[in-house]
Amino acid sequence: MNQAPSSTNDSTLAVELSDVWKSFPGVTANAGVNLSVRTGTIHALLGENGAGKSTLMNILAGVYRPDRGELKIHGQSHHFRNPADALSAGIGMVHQEFRLIPSFSVAENVVLGSAATVLRTRQVELQVSELAERFGLKVDPSQPLWQLSMGERQKVEILKILWRNAQVLILDEPTTVLTPSEVGELGDILTKMANDGRSIIFISHKLHEVSGICDEATVLRQGKTVASALPIESTGQRELAQLMVGTSASSTDRPSPSTPGAPLLELDGLSALGDRGLEAFSNLTFQVNSGEIVGIAGVAGNGQRELADVIAGLRPSTTGSLLMDGADITTASPQFRFKSGLAYIPEDRLGVGLAPRLSITDNAILRVYRQQRRGPFILAEKALSYCKDIVHRFGVRSADLEGPIAALSGGNLQRLLVGRELDGEPSVVVASQPTRGLDVQGVKAIQELLIQQRDSGVAVIMISEDLDELLTITDRLLVMESGVIRGEFDPRTASRDEVGMAMLSDGQAITDT
Amino acid sequence: MRRPRLSLREQPLPGGQPLAFGTGLLIALIVGTVLLLAAGHEPLKIYSRMFEASLGDPDAWAVTINRAVPLGLAGLAVAVAGSMGLWNIGAEGQIMAGAIAAAWVARIGGDWPGIVLITMMLIAALGGGGILALGPALARAKLGVNEIITTLMLNEVAIRLVQWLIHGPWKDPDSYNFPLAPMLPDQARLPTLFSRAHFGLLIAAAVIVIASVAVRYTAWGYELRIAGSSEATARYSGISLSKKVLTVLVLSGAIAGLAGGVELTGTADRLTETISNGFGFAGIIVAALALMRPSGVAVVALLFGAVQIGGQSIQTLGVSSSVSTILQAFVLFGAIGAGVFSRYRVVLDTDARSTNRELSDD
Repeated sequence: MNQAPSSTNDSTLAVELSDVWKSFPGVTANAGVNLSVRTGTIHALLGENGAGKSTLMNILAGVYRPDRGELKIHGQSHHFRNPADALSAGIGMVHQEFRLIPSFSVAENVVLGSAATVLRTRQVELQVSELAERFGLKVDPSQPLWQLSMGERQKVEILKILWRNAQVLILDEPTTVLTPSEVGELGDILTKMANDGRSIIFISHKLHEVSGICDEATVLRQGKTVASALPIESTGQRELAQLMVGTSASSTDRPSPSTPGAPLLELDGLSALGDRGLEAFSNLTFQVNSGEIVGIAGVAGNGQRELADVIAGLRPSTTGSLLMDGADITTASPQFRFKSGLAYIPEDRLGVGLAPRLSITDNAILRVYRQQRRGPFILAEKALSYCKDIVHRFGVRSADLEGPIAALSGGNLQRLLVGRELDGEPSVVVASQPTRGLDVQGVKAIQELLIQQRDSGVAVIMISEDLDELLTITDRLLVMESGVIRGEFDPRTASRDEVGMAMLSDGQAITDT
Repeated sequence: MRRPRLSLREQPLPGGQPLAFGTGLLIALIVGTVLLLAAGHEPLKIYSRMFEASLGDPDAWAVTINRAVPLGLAGLAVAVAGSMGLWNIGAEGQIMAGAIAAAWVARIGGDWPGIVLITMMLIAALGGGGILALGPALARAKLGVNEIITTLMLNEVAIRLVQWLIHGPWKDPDSYNFPLAPMLPDQARLPTLFSRAHFGLLIAAAVIVIASVAVRYTAWGYELRIAGSSEATARYSGISLSKKVLTVLVLSGAIAGLAGGVELTGTADRLTETISNGFGFAGIIVAALALMRPSGVAVVALLFGAVQIGGQSIQTLGVSSSVSTILQAFVLFGAIGAGVFSRYRVVLDTDARSTNRELSDD
């Protein structure tokens, strides 16, 4: 029944992927990728956004099927048809979006989707606490999920695949939802699991985390393996960074310096609550001037999203005031703010900025349809020609403007959204993760648009997780952590380390200026 | 070994929905043949009877159209709410509320001229349905209470109300103590267009056209579609969601109420507790088959009406009424099942080694 391992040294490899290809319409996500993970190690899979990490891992976890390539688990060939196949071969994945039911208890979530026909809650709870104990995953199995923090929910996801006896665990950017102290805790948990003989694949593009947690690294760039099984200890972070971004990326030309003018957006003691009713950020005071790009750096989930929402008027503030061009807009409606010159490029393009099931034209006119009416009717030709204009000016590639917006690629979606927002000739632009997930061309196009805005005297706030991007194109850099500004930097002189320290500081030993 | 599997189409197949409906009909015919043969009937004879009774001649068309009118209006009611992502499951009750309001107008306006009386009855019907939907609409708009449950439960309230009226205050003194409401005045009957097809056809067609145009081409409908696609996008662009929810649910109720009014003045001669006849629930099916598009409701309602009328007609040939209900169900199953293929395509896996799949436990 079991095939003999094809060669002897395979037995120490938990996972061996060779020459894996996978294309989606318009993109080749994996073009001959190789990956070898030794049993009992924590293996980092590094690469920029869009390098093909998630695709590769979805292939390993049975979510996608490769177009070509070989997949061996503990020396044995496999062809997974679905995630259940992968799981029964001992491979489990913790996705970036958790797949958990809020009203269920931890134990119930762990069992969910397994083949268990009778739910013996007590027994599962015991098993779960045993596993939790063994690996230091501190959660109460009987607690309902909705009471848990994101970090705790991640532990439930890990327990879920451990309970199914996974030998290989894939964690897709697990630290994005964690606080810095939780990241440390996750590292300890993973080390315990590796010592137990399990193998972990840790997807990330944050080098400092990788060097603290992982044993070896494979680096992907543009769908290809550029380095495999590098020992982390003897490889410098600089070398890894160069492998990830390629050689010239770190020396990108800075745009010409800005000439800031009068303050256009002023925050004074602004605070707001997050979705869970906890304080998302508190007492923020800063201003953004005409003709400058102010970057907000920070690990996701430190209040940046809420800050953008409050400025755009989509979330109420609890204290403080917000002035735009001298006028108080603390309680103004989103529509009023837009009319007064505030453009907002939200983090969720499709779902907040754009309505998924409607056509490209319908989405293009979202800000102007009120002016394109005759009586109750929207003038169809006017709408279409407006849409054509945006599409043309901002280089959106699309065949059918009456077709569904969801047919556009990520880069074209963002061009349409940014184009629509900038078309109103704003005086203030709030851009939240404007280049995330875009290809190199897309990133460049969006960055250039923001720089153009700055040069024409607009005040731009750019929220991003990509520190290199912020260091390259912003004129002033604020670091946000736990809802507080932890430091202000001049991106021309600041070092990556300094800023990174502020992002992870927890408020200790960092002083302003 | 090549295994078939479903893969999402980049764009839905054009004309996929009519094709799906046709496939559903075909599947129903095949299943029906088996059922009828098993029950000792001659399928061909039964099917030709179904066709003749529903679409065979102008008289048959008239009966089908009279059935399609309430189905179409109820379907429209559900589809208008559905355009915004809301589920009005209460069309059944709203139809009754509309009929009650229309019957009340007929009671007080017994000596008004026909055109005035009918107009007032239909306006009252709109109001009656709208009022029944107002509670769920307010609860959803202001408190976020799930409209599916509230609209569904009010169906029960509406039917009890009709029962109470015809057993109590509105019982006809000349009915020899039967629980019957009095006959409507003669001038309260909708004029007929041809055969028995009544004027309701034009009313329903007009309302469907107006609603389709409103949803597709007006700023109001645009906001509706934005909100239906993504609430966050609606909020982002400054569309007031609660106002929208309120107006749309009340409008949906009013359209269903109109179905009750038309049914009362068109086909019934008095208010009965079976006035809604399941149209409100069938309307959900009609709207679903029309993919919640108001413009698609008319065609689906006509086809669905034909299936219903045809199904009823074969009872005179000794076929159990359950057979016709089963046939209707298979049209629905088949159409929804086939609808999948307008959104997905079948791909054959070129996976030569898919049989060589062994698990390595332990």
